[in-house]
Amino acid sequence: MTLYIDTHYTNLVLALLNDGKLIDQRLIESNKHSENTIPLLNKLLNDNNLTIDNIKEIIVIIGPGSFTGVRIGVVIAKTIGYAKNIPVKGISYLQAVSLNYSENVIIGLKDKNGAFIGEFNPNHELINDYLYLSNIALKDYKKAIIYDSAVNIPKIASFLKDLPPINIHELKPLYVKRIEAEK
Amino acid sequence: MNDVYILAIESSCDETSMAIVKNGKEVISLSTTTQIKVHAEYGGVVPEIASRMHTEVITLVLDSTLKEANMKMEDISAIAVTYTPGLTGSLIVGIECAKTLSLIYNKPLIGVNHLIGHVYANNIDNTLKYPLLALIVSGGHTELLIMEDDYKFTKLGETLDDAIGECYDKVARLLDLKYPGGPNIEKLAQKGKPTYKLPVPVNDNSYNFSYSGLKSAIINLTHHEKNLNKADLARSFEETAIGELTRKVKKALKETNIKRLVIAGGVSANQYLKKEMTKLCQEYNAELLIPKMLYSTDNAAMIGAAAYPLYLKKEFSDYTLNASSNGDIC
Repeated sequence: MTLYIDTHYTNLVLALLNDGKLIDQRLIESNKHSENTIPLLNKLLNDNNLTIDNIKEIIVIIGPGSFTGVRIGVVIAKTIGYAKNIPVKGISYLQAVSLNYSENVIIGLKDKNGAFIGEFNPNHELINDYLYLSNIALKDYKKAIIYDSAVNIPKIASFLKDLPPINIHELKPLYVKRIEAEK
Repeated sequence: MNDVYILAIESSCDETSMAIVKNGKEVISLSTTTQIKVHAEYGGVVPEIASRMHTEVITLVLDSTLKEANMKMEDISAIAVTYTPGLTGSLIVGIECAKTLSLIYNKPLIGVNHLIGHVYANNIDNTLKYPLLALIVSGGHTELLIMEDDYKFTKLGETLDDAIGECYDKVARLLDLKYPGGPNIEKLAQKGKPTYKLPVPVNDNSYNFSYSGLKSAIINLTHHEKNLNKADLARSFEETAIGELTRKVKKALKETNIKRLVIAGGVSANQYLKKEMTKLCQEYNAELLIPKMLYSTDNAAMIGAAAYPLYLKKEFSDYTLNASSNGDIC
């Protein structure tokens, strides 16, 4: 059984996959992932007559998005992965969206001040680095950006299937944005 | 009764710390990674950097805590975590880790107030006896409380504006001293004399404190005084800032007739404060408890100590436990 965790933005999504097939999926739209995620995980497992011991792999969306939101998913994934010694695979949300396309694409995720963007080739490999563009910079950005918020969870699982898991201790969120602080 | 082993997690500011504490008193293991060097570059804690660093090390700290104790999660009786007060983003990292462990191992979850943790740090090497007076002095808090029993607090007074530790950090920056300010001011003050007349914070009959006026006076001096003697100013500042604490504690010892004083929080590491409080307690024939250095700064052992009475009373938290920045004790 694979547990899928996505807390990167306003939708909290948890899902269970068995042999790559989606068997249950839950969604809560809120800005209180820290209150909702573990209760929802508990309910998801209970409703399916499962315990954490049935989970053999974790897929987690590592960002970009809300810094705190992303950390919640990553910390939960790391903690389960460490405690149960199971593999954890992380994927960026933008790369996950790119799986819906078979050509070169630029995928974007908007927040109130701008957008995170990532450009992918037909093999869904990132071309150049992820960027965060302000709303002003976006106006001057000439290429077409696809703002698609749908991901296909089985496709993500299938894409990650042959990729090696990340060392649990080295799993980090993908923030893209730098911290604004004066030295 | 069986021995109780609490795994405690503390991530309220810039230390990621975990501990296993037996029966609320014996520290089986304690593992802390500090971010002081990183934040020192900015002259203070940058909340987003703190949250990021907690996330990076959280499972490493858990691993070393378990290994140092030579224990498995299955041996643990309950999981305790600081949920207030502190930096929300930082607290959340520890809270999510604690809730996840609680879910995986089906162990009770205990949310602990960080400030109460500082008080219970004194129950590790000593034993708290009630009633007692508790002076909490840290970067975010300056409070004087009466503690009648486990978790029974009555507030006598608190700061009306800045906390004493915050004031120390600000003054340290004004004197071009590095973060964390407290220890560096203390070092400099030892070389100086109390020659500067500084305003007495709250000169009234209450138990309240105030540090913003003192801070403003130092800002004025550092901006306008030409031949500033920094060591003398550090000494003058320290005597005024700590003097405010001793005056209010003295009043409390006199008026309540309580014979025990507990100092809690990061500023309790200050040697001048220790010296002054020792004198005061001798004068009033009161017992003084100050945690040793290891348990006076932010650490998870104190959270494990503070969680123990809650464990005995079965005051557990549920999975909706969330961070709160406010942290009122009473």
